[in-house]
Amino acid sequence: MLIPCPFCGERSESEFIYGGPVGADRPDPNTVSDAEWVEYLTVAPNPLGPVHERWWHARGCGEWLAIWRDTRTHDIVEAPDDSK
Amino acid sequence: MSYDVEIVRQGLNALFDLKGKPAAIQSWAGDVLPTWPERPNSRSGQDAVELYHIGRNHWIARAALDQEVKLGEHLRPTDCPADISIVQVSDTLTFFRVTGPHADEVMSIACPLDFHETEFSEDAVTYSELFSLKALVMRCKGGFEFAVEQSFGDMVEDYLSRATA
Repeated sequence: MLIPCPFCGERSESEFIYGGPVGADRPDPNTVSDAEWVEYLTVAPNPLGPVHERWWHARGCGEWLAIWRDTRTHDIVEAPDDSK
Repeated sequence: MSYDVEIVRQGLNALFDLKGKPAAIQSWAGDVLPTWPERPNSRSGQDAVELYHIGRNHWIARAALDQEVKLGEHLRPTDCPADISIVQVSDTLTFFRVTGPHADEVMSIACPLDFHETEFSEDAVTYSELFSLKALVMRCKGGFEFAVEQSFGDMVEDYLSRATA
């Protein structure tokens, strides 16, 4: 998989370290239920299709970036329309 | 298969890691540094001091080891303003040169970069991975030069000799 780094351009996946999913914004723990808080802390999105992920160009320029990757094909894809 | 290459482990260089806005570094360093590289992952050089643009607002200045004291006196790493960072890193990297007709093939064993001249030009310099280690990779006369963290020097030397045996 080639990952587009904003500084270096397309680079091999092996230069990057997976930085986890781009999750929901951190809710105020005082205003959400225990279930919603646990959901936020422990449940990572795992769709069949585009997923929003962070990657770190650790063996490159050091940039952090976010991409949409299709879990079915590993293709890096455009952000889905309903993601904005 | 054996490869027609010469692999030489280099001695130390004077190296300074520079971070911050170019204007701020330039105003602190004066004319001791060459003109700034125009593109990401490229280099410039003058008077034996080379400047590598290896990240966003991140450069490495490189010179011969005998220039280290003079360069340090100009850059004054311990006195620099808070909006920039200058760190002397001369003893952190070990440089190797891989030269010869098969240099690109040997480099391709170790590194995922595309070493064709159209993709990796004469003035290209970039961090990448080499034998799964972070490495600073560039061209040199007749081949390629790369640097890995000093403590991995012996291991990389061994890997290279096995890869080319």
